[in-house]
Amino acid sequence: MINFDHVSLRFQDKTIFHDLNLDIKKGERVSLIGGSGRGKTTLLKLVQGYLLPDSGTIKIYDEVLTSKSIHHLRKEMAWIPQNINLPVSKGIELMRLMDITDKSTSISIFLEELGLNASIIHDDFSKISGGQKQRIVISIVLSLDKSIILLDEPTSSLDDKSIKMLLKVMKSLENKTIVSASHNQVWNNQADKVIEL
Amino acid sequence: MKEIVDIDIIDLAISFTILAIPIVFFLYFRVKIVRDVLISVIRMIIQLMLVAIYLEWIFKMNNAWVNSLWVLVMIFVGIFTTIGRVRLHWKEFIIPFFIAGLSSVAIIDSFFLGFVIKLDYVFDARYFIPITGMILGNAMNHNVVGLSTYFNGLSEKSELYYFLLTNTGNSRMALRPYIASAISQGLNPLIATMSVIGLISLPGMMTGQILGGSSPVIAIKYQIMIMLAIFVGCTLNLILSIIISNAFVFDSYGRFREEVLKK
Repeated sequence: MINFDHVSLRFQDKTIFHDLNLDIKKGERVSLIGGSGRGKTTLLKLVQGYLLPDSGTIKIYDEVLTSKSIHHLRKEMAWIPQNINLPVSKGIELMRLMDITDKSTSISIFLEELGLNASIIHDDFSKISGGQKQRIVISIVLSLDKSIILLDEPTSSLDDKSIKMLLKVMKSLENKTIVSASHNQVWNNQADKVIEL
Repeated sequence: MKEIVDIDIIDLAISFTILAIPIVFFLYFRVKIVRDVLISVIRMIIQLMLVAIYLEWIFKMNNAWVNSLWVLVMIFVGIFTTIGRVRLHWKEFIIPFFIAGLSSVAIIDSFFLGFVIKLDYVFDARYFIPITGMILGNAMNHNVVGLSTYFNGLSEKSELYYFLLTNTGNSRMALRPYIASAISQGLNPLIATMSVIGLISLPGMMTGQILGGSSPVIAIKYQIMIMLAIFVGCTLNLILSIIISNAFVFDSYGRFREEVLKK
């Protein structure tokens, strides 16, 4: 479903990947692990077509990732970045930017499953914690119901209780291919496959 | 109405002595802009003297081709100034900015000169050149602010763009907040000016017309028209500049090409 075939990438005179082969199957939950600078975020950016390999091919749904295919392949992807300091002031503002105000019911359900009151979507980001903001962004992105979910350090601002709630939510999602980069042991233990970079 | 009092060239020369006041302040507070001020004043004198010579000749000829050529020169000067001040590479932007400038001038001039003032000859130098000049001069200033906001936003706050691009799968939606921010930052000063016009500022065109012997009522009617022309012209020019540039500043994968900005 997501295949890396002999992918190599150098960045600023440093080899990030050399002849990397990967095979992530549909519905699989994969955790990417490795120290800082080993290419976890880079790999997620390669899947999205924001970085391009120097050699080798990347296939998604058996389709080679090219400048033509990437635009419709992105429609299958959801992306939760590590840096959630997006220049928006409220969850509702982010929903408006994404034209998904009709998904408020689904977002409310995710928010509640993540231990938040649905009304927090109207709260100013400057008045809530980093963990609450992260859960709001995750709820909004999960409501998109995409088949591939890419997460970069999804637990970075969460406490143990919130991590458990997020894991429960992720487990309840059916037919989703989930690829995450995380340093969190509890998170990585729940993966179907752990790939060390 | 009385004839306007001409300024004697000696008196005009004497008027430069008043520059001593700001220069004394700059020197006292050690503001290192005296050299820049003197260069700007000398440039202003030379440019306006040349323009006076050109305009005398252009107004006498009053030829549609010559007048249009003059407007083209104004468009290109505006483009190069904008590209320089926003710190962009000219190769990617000269065509989009030219199309944007020409289209906005064509639309605004046809509407106001042809439809509102109902000139028999829309290329009449007396109307065509100063009105187009005011639109382009203002558009340049507001474009610099709007385009700087747009490109700096894409360069420095790119995470929102890529977040929206993947999650919505739609590049127009991903760019919308950046375009909205550019429009609001670019046009806010103009909206503020429009709201206090006549109260704390008397616009140059109106003042010039009154000094030139027009009645204040006619001058004000022209001022209202020119403010509308400037506002719509600036908006069109900025939006078209952004939309047309987008074809050159993103690669085929939708990634913003940082190299279009000068570091």
